[in-house]
Amino acid sequence: MNRETVVLNPRLAWREIQGRVVVISPEDSVVHELNETASFIWKHAERGRNVSEIADLLTTEFRVDAAQAQADTEGLLAVFSQKGLLAN
Amino acid sequence: MNATPVMDRLVGRSMKGSVPLGVHFDVTYRCNERCVHCYLDHEDYGELETPEVKNILTQLAAAGTLMLTFSGGEIFLRKDFFELLEFARSLHFDITLKSNALMITAERAVRLRELGVRQIQISIYSAEPEVHDAITKVRGSFARSLQAIRFLKTQGLHVKIACPLMKQNLSGLRRLRILADELSVPYVIDMTVTPKLDGDTSILAMRNSADELVDVIQDASLRGQATPDDAAESVVGSAVSSGIESDAYDGIPCSAGHNTCYISPYGEVYPCVQMPIPAGNLRRESFEQIWHRSPQFARVRAIREDQLPVCAACNLRKYCERCPGLAHMEGGDLTGAYDRACELAEMKARVAGVANPLSAWHAQSRGKALAVRASGRLVQISQHL
Ligand code: SF4
Ligand code: SF4
Repeated sequence: MNRETVVLNPRLAWREIQGRVVVISPEDSVVHELNETASFIWKHAERGRNVSEIADLLTTEFRVDAAQAQADTEGLLAVFSQKGLLAN
Repeated sequence: MNATPVMDRLVGRSMKGSVPLGVHFDVTYRCNERCVHCYLDHEDYGELETPEVKNILTQLAAAGTLMLTFSGGEIFLRKDFFELLEFARSLHFDITLKSNALMITAERAVRLRELGVRQIQISIYSAEPEVHDAITKVRGSFARSLQAIRFLKTQGLHVKIACPLMKQNLSGLRRLRILADELSVPYVIDMTVTPKLDGDTSILAMRNSADELVDVIQDASLRGQATPDDAAESVVGSAVSSGIESDAYDGIPCSAGHNTCYISPYGEVYPCVQMPIPAGNLRRESFEQIWHRSPQFARVRAIREDQLPVCAACNLRKYCERCPGLAHMEGGDLTGAYDRACELAEMKARVAGVANPLSAWHAQSRGKALAVRASGRLVQISQHL
């Protein structure tokens, strides 16, 4: 999974508004507001980064250790996936 | 209805940061129907061209707009409409379309689903084909629009019927509700008939009086149903008329100019489709300049409810859905009161059991009339003397 590129669900609408990413799903009109870390992961996934790259960036940005960053990234991506926010 | 906490926070952040979260973009005024109550001039005086629209969409995305409504005129008359839609989706906008649906085919419905359009609002005036067609002035339009609704529903798209209410279709409203149920689509009514954009007020004769609307005011189910789609829509439009309360709107008349605005097919920017105050033109200035620096937007943003000269002291405020845009169009003053809002508020108050409700505006005009009559008598008396 680590080298896999994260692909966002292309049917979603989203925008970064005042530092937070807001996502709307057209199927059910549910509005998701991502927290700071989730927004960070979302924006880097959008740029085509894979899980390891995102975790590395998280380490630098939020000053957390590598294991923590990896766990957070995988955890949040699992939540994204469960909520239908990912294509894969 | 209260906004969900997520929506509330989103509205709050957009208000605080002055982000144009919702934009209503009329991409054409041309239309293939000729509805009797329509306020538009359907001539094309030089619509924005494809690259111009794309440029504006890019600017809106950069400014933070998320909810985008494409409307008209009839949007599908633009030959480049799907190109524009595709471009808008590539910029991740949340899309609502407003259309009469005459040009929506089965293939187009598939494409709309593929593109991730969230909602399509379609104007249906009556469950009776003759009434609908007499309003649109296009024979067969009812059947075609209904067929399109079925195409869209087959694709699993969210369709909503919008029904502007006027003298011609009021009596058929219950049957329209049944039709909407049969089609499994929600519907909303709109009691607003506005003057034409050129100021012509003759079409106002088509609107129902407050007395005629008493059933609609009494029976909330006749006014349509709130849907999950509305939750995401609550930021676009009126804090009052959407029926969604958000603390972020406290103290201001509505969202117009604060976190929403309107763009015309000629690039003019207004605070709202119902507030035709040109604040700038995107052919000459950037969206950023107009949104942040135009004196018109500054003026609209400065209005506070408790400073409205007449309405601030009105006892009927909780029954009133005053629209500042209509106050401007009908009464000539953004901060003023206007007859239509007062009449509807008085009717709502009466239905709620208030005895002899009288708006502050009507009380004031009645006071003035009495004073004029009194001074008339003085003149007469002095003449007798
Ligand atoms: S100007 Fe009127 S129509 Fe526009 S958002 Fe305000 S209340 Fe609604
Ligand atoms: S009822 Fe009339 S006077 Fe009262 S708040 Fe509404 S518009 Fe103003």
